[in-house]
Amino acid sequence: MKQPLVHQSPIPGLGLSAGITLTMLSIIVLLPIGALLLQGAASGVDVMWAAINTKRTWGALLLSFRLSLIAALFNLVFGVAVAWVLVRYRFPGRKLLDAAVDLPFALPTAVAGIALTALYAPNGAFGAIAKDLGFKIAYTQWGILIALIFVGLPFVARTVQPVVEEIEREVEEASATLGASRAHTIRHIILPMLTPAALTGFALALARSVGEYGSVIFIAGNIPMKTEIAPLLIVIRLEEFDYPGAAAIGIAMLLISFMMLLAINAVQVFSRRRIGYV
Amino acid sequence: MSDVPIRFRAATEETPLARFLLIGGVLLGLAVLLFAPLIVVFFEALRDGALAAVASLANPEAASAIRLTLIVAAIAVPLNAVFGIAAAWFVTKFDFRGKAILITLIDLPFSVSPVVAGLCIVLTFGANSLIGGVLVGHGFPIVFALPGIVLASVFVTFPFVARELIPVMIEQGRAEEEAALTLGASGWRVFFTVTLPNIRWALLYGVLLCNARAMGEFGAVAVVSGKIRGQTATMPITIEMLYNEYLSVAAFSLAAVLALLALLTLTLKTGLEWRYADQLAANHRH
Repeated sequence: MKQPLVHQSPIPGLGLSAGITLTMLSIIVLLPIGALLLQGAASGVDVMWAAINTKRTWGALLLSFRLSLIAALFNLVFGVAVAWVLVRYRFPGRKLLDAAVDLPFALPTAVAGIALTALYAPNGAFGAIAKDLGFKIAYTQWGILIALIFVGLPFVARTVQPVVEEIEREVEEASATLGASRAHTIRHIILPMLTPAALTGFALALARSVGEYGSVIFIAGNIPMKTEIAPLLIVIRLEEFDYPGAAAIGIAMLLISFMMLLAINAVQVFSRRRIGYV
Repeated sequence: MSDVPIRFRAATEETPLARFLLIGGVLLGLAVLLFAPLIVVFFEALRDGALAAVASLANPEAASAIRLTLIVAAIAVPLNAVFGIAAAWFVTKFDFRGKAILITLIDLPFSVSPVVAGLCIVLTFGANSLIGGVLVGHGFPIVFALPGIVLASVFVTFPFVARELIPVMIEQGRAEEEAALTLGASGWRVFFTVTLPNIRWALLYGVLLCNARAMGEFGAVAVVSGKIRGQTATMPITIEMLYNEYLSVAAFSLAAVLALLALLTLTLKTGLEWRYADQLAANHRH
């Protein structure tokens, strides 16, 4: 028994809504992504591989992924702490803080980029302190890391927060009456419940950081092999009118972030199966 | 050791020390990571006084950037709202095969780097491409012109409205619309008098986020705009150009305008969350 493509429905507007949805999706998203893949296919595997397999491109790709991973790991820990503090504790300014966590979503990346640079440059407020201590933040990988932490900050906090709100106190009380210490309860009861949501936030932060451009390029210094991120290399290739080269890096980035999302999805399914839906 | 504890700690609470360290750590972290950059924008903009900041906004380059950004948002946001409503109607009012794939495709732009999005649009509509070549031949360039900037903005904000509406409309079901239909209302009447009032706050929420992103988009627009002064330079692009020319006050003044927009967006968004929590997407925190 084959299912019909569309089930009968008394509600009107099928043609119109499907038409608008599929037309806009095709023109704005699918056609352009198809053009990228087509450019890759047209230039062939050899040309693509030659464009990717240079020290400079590998350097940029590895730098983007390595720093994004570190930033996402920092945000994983910090985001869980933020969610916990915002839900469980009461202190003055909590609601303001709650609203402010979304700032990196609302603040344009170019604004964040120049602000972070002004702050961490050797003559900036934080940069001067670092300079006195003998190290440099802006125009080094540390600067890139700070920018990536900024853009990824809200993801884990926002995915974990609703889960913390829904934890039933009885579970914690049961654990305590059975003699578990608070640390034991957190380690074995609470953190496992937060894991699926935290991993989702981690994956979202990672995907966002890997592709981030605006907030990074001002603070990065953009020195090939040292502080040149993959999206910047795409822009450079485009400015040289090297479309096959730009497309090769673009496809590589698409593939790697797609694979990372799949991997994290698998981890999530696994942890859900072990712990159950929360 | 004669001190008697005034209050015993509940077994489901952290020790006061742990609590103090957690709150302190989070406050310090957010102050350094979030509030310091925000404050610096205004500090740098006002470095030479408020007059210099205002004067730099009145210069033709900044004024044209502000105008262009408003035009782009005025086209991209309604386009996105129409798409979001149509997609949410299609996905929630009908049952069809491949629904999960469709939703995944709508979400796809979230996981694409803005620069890659710009690259895709250049490869599709650039002067060297099949479609772009024909359009340029007819005097209708897309890349390095307004249509390209609009396309890039719509691409990066594509899921915003649909994502807010779909969960809300799933939760509300189809019964109210079906009842209105049996009472003889036309399709459009059902939409405007039954559906729209149910989803208006979620729609506003999505439009708000969509607008903030559309006005602030940098990476995708940087690739497709060609950065032509006074013509295709949006506010974020102009900020970059001014900053690279060491016109710090001018760059930060324009950045301060966008930062104010971000603060306004956050305020309205928080207001909506407090007031209409029950009518916003279920996957949000309330």
